[in-house]
Amino acid sequence: MNVLLVEDEAKIAEFVRAGLKERGFIVDYSGNGDEGYLLALDNEYDVIVLDIMVPGRDGLSILKQLRRQGSNTPVILLTARNELDDRLAGLNLGADDYIAKPFFVEELVARIHAVIRRSVGERQNFLLVGSLKLDRITREVTCDRQAIELTTREFNLLEYLMRSPGRVFTRTQILGSVWGYDFNPNTNVVDVCIQRIRKKIDPIDQEGWIESIRGVGYRFRQPDVRL
Amino acid sequence: MKLPSFRLRITLFSVGLAGIALVGLGAVSWWQIYHVTLSRLDAQIFNLLMYVKGPRKLDPTELYEEERWKQYADLLPNLLGANTEVEIALLVVDPEGNSIYQSPEIIKNRNLYHLLTNQLALTKLSPRISPNKILGQKFSPPPPPTLFYTESTTRGNWRIGTIRLRTIGIGMAVNQQVVRQEMATISSIFLISIPGVLLSIAVGAWLLSKRALRPIDRLSSTIQQVRATGLDRRILTDQIDREFVELIQVFNQMLERLERSFKQASRFSGDAAHELKTPLTILQGELERTLQQVPPGSEIQQRLGNLLDLISHLNNIVRKLLLFSLADAGQMSLYLVEVDVSELLCQMLEDVEMQAPHLTLRTNIPQELKIKGARDLLMQVLQSLFNNAVKYNLASGWIAIDAEQTNKKLQVMIANASKEIPVSDRNRLFDRFYRGDPACTRKVEGVGLGLSLAREIVRAHHGELTLTSAVSGETSFTIILPIIENA
Repeated sequence: MNVLLVEDEAKIAEFVRAGLKERGFIVDYSGNGDEGYLLALDNEYDVIVLDIMVPGRDGLSILKQLRRQGSNTPVILLTARNELDDRLAGLNLGADDYIAKPFFVEELVARIHAVIRRSVGERQNFLLVGSLKLDRITREVTCDRQAIELTTREFNLLEYLMRSPGRVFTRTQILGSVWGYDFNPNTNVVDVCIQRIRKKIDPIDQEGWIESIRGVGYRFRQPDVRL
Repeated sequence: MKLPSFRLRITLFSVGLAGIALVGLGAVSWWQIYHVTLSRLDAQIFNLLMYVKGPRKLDPTELYEEERWKQYADLLPNLLGANTEVEIALLVVDPEGNSIYQSPEIIKNRNLYHLLTNQLALTKLSPRISPNKILGQKFSPPPPPTLFYTESTTRGNWRIGTIRLRTIGIGMAVNQQVVRQEMATISSIFLISIPGVLLSIAVGAWLLSKRALRPIDRLSSTIQQVRATGLDRRILTDQIDREFVELIQVFNQMLERLERSFKQASRFSGDAAHELKTPLTILQGELERTLQQVPPGSEIQQRLGNLLDLISHLNNIVRKLLLFSLADAGQMSLYLVEVDVSELLCQMLEDVEMQAPHLTLRTNIPQELKIKGARDLLMQVLQSLFNNAVKYNLASGWIAIDAEQTNKKLQVMIANASKEIPVSDRNRLFDRFYRGDPACTRKVEGVGLGLSLAREIVRAHHGELTLTSAVSGETSFTIILPIIENA
């Protein structure tokens, strides 16, 4: 999948590019708004990731002009400013999603997948790891075709981990994504929730799906590690 | 101190001033008129007295003296030109002081008799003048000395005039009632006209001051429209009196400065956000990447994990401070969506149950409490209240949630068992970076921005967040949010 990244801060661009490449995206990059706009006009991208504050044309005006040209390429805005204003402006101008700095590449990847799915009008939306299947639309989880009842938080947490099997997430990272910005960081709610999920999805005779990383957090086991 | 209406004061002041002037003027003119009237009466009496000397020769009848004087006395009111009710007393005496004629008034009023005789005694003898000379000659001789003065008796004031000739002395007293009647007429003219004039001055001043204050009205209506979002308003000086142009220019300049500094403040928050968040993003991104590259569970991964946690803590603070700066600039713009508050509350309760299974939960949450609001921000408000309810709870305490929707408001009360909050602390709970007594909250982590920001967010939704606990051993917060239709 082709992604255009317009971001002036070289170091941010670097780790975003690296992170996207790791996950199999082909990334074109520009640090300048005017150049980025020309790239967007000349090439076909699956998704465009636009920083709002870039030299030259700023992100919002690139978006505005692309939409005026009739381009429907999904656009995700990166913003450092207050999330309220920019989101308002961005969504009104036809952005598909927006993500506030600082962000985790994991989060960006998830959003990219989501907007692409939306743009191609995918009806079915599964996460499949081994025998565990998570349906994002019906919000059902099945293990070996057996339905598993999860609460909202449990489902969201499982989805978050299943999105990137093999990656380590800290408790705070999980808390921030699943519970939101302002959750008391010293609670053990993540551990409690993980325990509950484990009880529901883990087969008795085998190793569990969710692995604890001592002193750090958790990761979802990759199937090949398991097999 | 608030002064009463300026218009009212202007009106009262002009009426007062005009009133004093008019009353003063009236009093002076009344006094003048009184004296003029009195001198006119004197002149009339004088004329009558002069006329008295004549009749004997002009009208030599055979009537008795007394009868003649009586006829004359009857004529007097007509001669005075006043109405017949004027009381006139006439006393005629011979040179020895014996009375020749007394009019009925004197007979009725002995006081008057004494007054007149006394006065006659004091009067000097007139020089001899023939009436022909008085009437016919061009150069009148000096008139006979006549005394006028006012004397009061039980029946009113009398104006007394006397003359002494060789053969007779005549005293005449006219009741000043005639003057008083005239003065009463003038007084009543004053009494009607002065209030009338004052009333018209009052109306005039009221209307004039309204007209004069019109630029002020326009100014204040513009000021009312100026809020943080309407600072670009200016008042036009086109159709404004010259006296107000300067005021309005100064006001416009003030607005301009205000607008500039507000813009600066909000740009500051944008710039600060950029400056702080860029390095945070880089740090976080690099750490995240490195975290995945080191062996899972290794010591270095643990350290990286701790650093990542610190960054998210920092990030949280930056985010809150920026929200504050927006709230202070009145620019917390909200992306309104429909928020199901019941659902949010249930989710939070689920978290509470996971975090603190030892707490007893009492809930009263109706289904489908919906409101238009900024979802993330409202969630943050509820979360910080729930956090506090868990954090500051007692060992085997409880949490009670009570939500209800009335006509135009949504009310959520979150109460929990707690230690007594000292009265001095109650007011400071919503202060920024306030965290209660340091000694007893050391074990509880946090920044102390949650409640304060929660209140700002609720206010941005035009609602109110208050500490409402009345019972000891209990803390309760109440959120009241207006339900806006089609916001």
